[in-house]
Amino acid sequence: MTSRSVPVLIVDDQAFFRSAARAVLAVTPGFAAVGEAGSGEEAVTRTDELAPALVLMDIHLPGISGIEATRRIRATHPGTAVLLLSTYRVEDLPAEARDCGAIGYLHKEDFEPEVLERIWAEREPVS
Amino acid sequence: MPIRVVLAEDSYLVREGVRRLLETEPDIDLVAVCEDYDSLLSAIGSAEPDVVLTDIRMPPTGTDEGIRAAERLRQARPAAGVVLLSQYADPAYALGFLEHGTEGRAYLLKERVSDLDQLLAAIREVARGGSVIDPKVVETLVAAKSRAVASPLARLTPREREVLALLAEGRSNAAVAEALVLSERAVEKHINSIFAKLGLPEARDAHRRVKAVLLFLAEQD
Repeated sequence: MTSRSVPVLIVDDQAFFRSAARAVLAVTPGFAAVGEAGSGEEAVTRTDELAPALVLMDIHLPGISGIEATRRIRATHPGTAVLLLSTYRVEDLPAEARDCGAIGYLHKEDFEPEVLERIWAEREPVS
Repeated sequence: MPIRVVLAEDSYLVREGVRRLLETEPDIDLVAVCEDYDSLLSAIGSAEPDVVLTDIRMPPTGTDEGIRAAERLRQARPAAGVVLLSQYADPAYALGFLEHGTEGRAYLLKERVSDLDQLLAAIREVARGGSVIDPKVVETLVAAKSRAVASPLARLTPREREVLALLAEGRSNAAVAEALVLSERAVEKHINSIFAKLGLPEARDAHRRVKAVLLFLAEQD
């Protein structure tokens, strides 16, 4: 990771998606995976340890949901942006997804390098 | 000999995830990775696949590219297998995919791709001519039903129908026995009778189960 790369924490309970997200980040200029978490609680702890600039957050997780984990992370790390990533159609998203402090929601099937770059460039600056 | 696999999937994340999974398997040789219908057809023509692992909806139309490619493969390489990955359990797609024969065909929900063992089992099964239908897909098919009249199924006794309906949910003989409060031996006898009445005496057992279930599902609307 170069000094200018955006450090990213990947949160998903499925190893497959963590590995796939790493593959996407590896070919996205300016981003670097710095860690992984398999649950919402672990996401909160890992954010404390790693201070990532961006968290890729699955919604369905064992224990607290990705939405609750996002609320906790945003409350204690206002400089960390969270992008929700799941398999809901947008119209089926839980209402709380909209006001948990995430910068946005992306269907996993649409997660690719150009899309991530665009979301990051167009995000509302956090904190 | 490793199994030569062609992967076709337009989602970057799923494609790269599956690529990473398969590349670590010594008995799998990932010979081409495609993102749309045209590149898949070209790989079917040139990469000599034993198995094509494909999404249903891909560019250019995002509708049934995977199913059409499977039909082209059946003509071009009749012995090759197909594992079809579907985002949702869709009865019309499942039956369309399986209507010309279930040999070497697997229909899996896309959520299974994260389970390496299930994905590999399906690839290996279709490579040797077997069939796999995702139990969740079967459940959906059974749930969306109403009964037709003229069918070989009309010859089944009510008890045999019950057994077949449970098989269609993906249950094992032991689970069927438990659900109907029968012995496993009794369930086996019912299953053999079902196979005989449906004219499925020859094929291997796993294969007959799939066919019997398909007949049952095909008569539901």
